[in-house]
Amino acid sequence: MSERTRTDWTAVRSIMGRDLLAVRRSKAVLLPMLLVPLLMLVLLPASVGFAANRGGLDPSQFLSFVPNGLAEPIGRYPEHEQVVILVLGYLVALAGDAFAGEKERKTLETLLHLPIRDLDLYIGKLLVGFVPSVAVSWIGFLLFCITANLTAWPTMHRAFMPTLLWAVMILWIAPGVAAVGLGVMVRVSIRVNNTQEAQQLGGAVVLPLVILAVAQTTALLLAGIWPTFLAGCVVWAIAIWLNVRGARSFTRDRMAARL
Amino acid sequence: MGASERVIECEALTRSFPSGMALDALTIDAAPGEVLALLGPNGAGKTTTMRLLNGVLLPDSGTARVLGLDPWRDGEALRRRTGVLTENAGLDERFTALENLQFVGRLRGMSESEARTRGALLEQVDMGHRADVKVQGFSTGQRKRVALARALLHDPELLFLDEPTSGLDPAATRAVVDLIGSLAADHGRTVVLCTHFLGEAGKLANRMAVLFQGRLHAFGTPDDLAAELWSRFEVRLDLGAPASPPLIEALVTLPHVHEATATDRGAIVFTSERDDVPAVVAACVAAGSPVYGVDPRDPNLEDVYFAIEARAAVPA
Ligand SMILES: Nc1ncnc2c1ncn2[C@@H]1O[C@H](COP(=O)(O)OP(=O)(O)O)[C@@H](O)[C@H]1O
Ligand SMILES: [Mg+2]
Repeated sequence: MSERTRTDWTAVRSIMGRDLLAVRRSKAVLLPMLLVPLLMLVLLPASVGFAANRGGLDPSQFLSFVPNGLAEPIGRYPEHEQVVILVLGYLVALAGDAFAGEKERKTLETLLHLPIRDLDLYIGKLLVGFVPSVAVSWIGFLLFCITANLTAWPTMHRAFMPTLLWAVMILWIAPGVAAVGLGVMVRVSIRVNNTQEAQQLGGAVVLPLVILAVAQTTALLLAGIWPTFLAGCVVWAIAIWLNVRGARSFTRDRMAARL
Repeated sequence: MGASERVIECEALTRSFPSGMALDALTIDAAPGEVLALLGPNGAGKTTTMRLLNGVLLPDSGTARVLGLDPWRDGEALRRRTGVLTENAGLDERFTALENLQFVGRLRGMSESEARTRGALLEQVDMGHRADVKVQGFSTGQRKRVALARALLHDPELLFLDEPTSGLDPAATRAVVDLIGSLAADHGRTVVLCTHFLGEAGKLANRMAVLFQGRLHAFGTPDDLAAELWSRFEVRLDLGAPASPPLIEALVTLPHVHEATATDRGAIVFTSERDDVPAVVAACVAAGSPVYGVDPRDPNLEDVYFAIEARAAVPA
């Protein structure tokens, strides 16, 4: 539907810039977005670690106070990076806002009447979900490494995080999982009328994916670096396939017909 | 683009949705600098037409050229030169009035400072004092004015206005209509005005396309429409007393008289045209009724609209 075939990055950046500014300004969105990672990647592991170090307290005793869903991954600290993926899953769910939010705020029609290419609009909305999710999870992981090293210092007397295997997990597989999740979320977001609906429906699809990813990482960590890297390739292949298909089926006409 | 060329030309434009036909073989055009009204009740197909012409919706069939471009192939190029005020103003409530303008300015390829400079348009729509206030608390009228400024941000050659006064109180309506009259049609800009308010169309439009249920029922200047549709010409006769039954009899047997009814002071006669009036007066005089006054009423826009509506309601 367009004469231009190259991505207009100014347009993509403008779309991202507006949504990110809105997130920065909204405490209701920003606080959970930062606090959930902080809690899961820093505060809980730190308290578990310190409690374990003090000797007297058995971590499992502490964990009996923690809600069920959280206890399991926390209980294994600092053995696995699964929490990073859990956090990523949570951040990805926020991307349900992409198009559903525009419909809810009644700003979609104006957007469609602007000179933005269909594909650029899709890319903008995808990146608005991707960039902050991955950034927050990476920063969270960094903090987690520092926490893990500090709490383990009394027994290990050295910094043991991150290992190469962990780095591949976090830098290669985790963003791939995020891209798969976003491929789902953005497409769900196109079909429904408000953010809450998108997050519920999208979450129902993304959550099993995240759990699957979490389950597989245990096996990968045992399998070693190359299988882990290859698994990442598979995840990225799925992500690219999903998003290319999403972008192809995304047209102005379809969006306008849902106004 | 030559001066004689049309800004909008479309032929047999058709679009349906699963719910049914939204627009059925619409053929209209607009000349440079013209204000064209798309007039019709809710569901007539006005918004659909606007979306089709701006390349946002694709047609099932039909052709169009807008500003010399194919809206469905050169959509981006076209939308760079058009501005749109959507029915709900479509401002982002999370931002201020000025930020809403700046966002669109950036997407239209303006630099940060250029977009801020153009933000002065808010003063022209009398919203300068609220430029840095979040849109959230704005009234509908204020939103429409900010959205109008946003639609004019890049000085578009063609402006689409979708129900610019819907949901406004009379004072706000007046303010917005005046703004459209002064700002929108500036600089020889072409305007497409979708409305279900006849008064608005009559006040602002050079030509009107009257739509009902996706079909074009009339297209032309208000005078053209009157001439085309209003075959009944109303004449009020002041005879000093109600017309007698024999006189009514005599009047309806005249050629071109469709209907005659007695009133308190005389009669109302419907003829075909102005030229029938002398014969009506002569018949009264011949029947011995003194004629104190003759008041031939030119049909107004409202009469035309309701005539079209009545005609549209009757299946052909
Ligand atoms: N996106 C859509 N999906 C389904 N039906 C639609 C859609 N847009 C318009 N319609 C239908 O098409 C007809 C014309 O609508 P519209 O162009 O919005 O009319 P108007 O703007 O004159 O009120 C209506 O019957 C409406 O229900
Ligand atoms: Mg409409």
